[in-house]
Amino acid sequence: MTLELFNQEFEGIVGQLKSYILRITASIADAEDIVHDTYLKALDKLHTFRGDSSLKTWLFAIASNIAKDNLRAQKRWTENTTDITKEAALSNRQFFQEAMNIRMTSPYGQYEAKEHIALCFTCISKSLPLEQQLCVFLKEVYQFKVSEIMTILDTTEAMVKYYLHTGRSKMISIFEGRCALINKEGVCHQCSELNGIFNPKQNTQEELMKIDLVREAKISDKEHLFDLRMRILREVDPYKSKATELQLHHLEHNRRVMEKYLEERVD
Amino acid sequence: MLSFCFAQSSKWKQNKMKYLFTILTIIIMTAPTTAQNGKATTVKTTFHRETSVRIDIKADAAIVWALLTKAPDYPRWNSTITSIAGNIALGEKIKLKSVLDPKRTFNLKVKEFETNKKLVWGDGQGTRVYTITNSGGGTVTFSMIEKIGGLMFPLYAKMIPPFDQSFERFAADLKKEAETIMNAK
Repeated sequence: MTLELFNQEFEGIVGQLKSYILRITASIADAEDIVHDTYLKALDKLHTFRGDSSLKTWLFAIASNIAKDNLRAQKRWTENTTDITKEAALSNRQFFQEAMNIRMTSPYGQYEAKEHIALCFTCISKSLPLEQQLCVFLKEVYQFKVSEIMTILDTTEAMVKYYLHTGRSKMISIFEGRCALINKEGVCHQCSELNGIFNPKQNTQEELMKIDLVREAKISDKEHLFDLRMRILREVDPYKSKATELQLHHLEHNRRVMEKYLEERVD
Repeated sequence: MLSFCFAQSSKWKQNKMKYLFTILTIIIMTAPTTAQNGKATTVKTTFHRETSVRIDIKADAAIVWALLTKAPDYPRWNSTITSIAGNIALGEKIKLKSVLDPKRTFNLKVKEFETNKKLVWGDGQGTRVYTITNSGGGTVTFSMIEKIGGLMFPLYAKMIPPFDQSFERFAADLKKEAETIMNAK
């Protein structure tokens, strides 16, 4: 493959790659660094690329390897991450001032519940064991086949299926227990609470009912509701939307809070 | 034929009861303890009790192994275990809570850990052995044997509930979960 063709194809893939890395690291800076390192490493190894897999699969494999080295050194987040980060946000006036400022001044500072649902999934997925988190994103959001995930994560079909099944099952169970959008008893109402703060003129319930996941909550089974949630993640590009700046600000806050929380926690 | 030969000897007549007891013991000891697929069996002696189960599973050994060795995941698929804390790896100590005795925590040590093949954990009173063997045709045979006992066993034997039903549920849960994963697209 020529350098020119590689650069051209990389341009077409880099958006998805960056979104994937952002979602598994929850860090804007790490996503930038890892994508940059992936480009350099791919360039260095370009002569070894024989086209046994697609260039996209090859690049995701390089990026996943770099990300895994970073992530293995970090503690996994907890299932109740949204409770912890909410509590921290409520006692942090500066966070809300910054967020409100973004909301009022930035063209990318709109609040949309769908964007927040995607952000929420990103944060909670960090409570899964790393391989399970990667498999869930690669299959459900970036729609790689099992055989491609085997290449990306350098593992067997059996293990990809195991990680995928267990990761998916755990996320279903967590959302079923916590998410008030699909369970009346759910403890987390953040997406609707924030809609009330950032879009005070909107009827929050009406807005939520525009989302398939919410509309079908009473009539669909948990597997289908998970698929609908995954559809939202596929539709949302964390870097390219009118809500990008507000959501990235929120993600950075959550990452800082969780890192501090995990550092201070005695296991 | 055997009884005929014995009947002819005078020794047989003298030691009839002793021979019958020996034959009976041999039959019990050599009987397959994990005979029926998915059905548990228990053999009791004065100082020991051994419960076992085996079941055929149409799944890769790696999937069965992953299910058996990922401690935090047990309660999700296994209806007999409430929780396992710790890391299931060679030499590691784990804390297991079972539905059979929910108030009790079993402090166990992982004694053998042969990836995709054999896992052994136990304490001073008993040992549980899990084995996975390839049976061909995409099927593995899973077996689980727990032997408890010792010199003091007669004193507390009656306080330990039977394991058979719990073993059958464990094996059935494992089979269901492993085959579900294997058949996923």
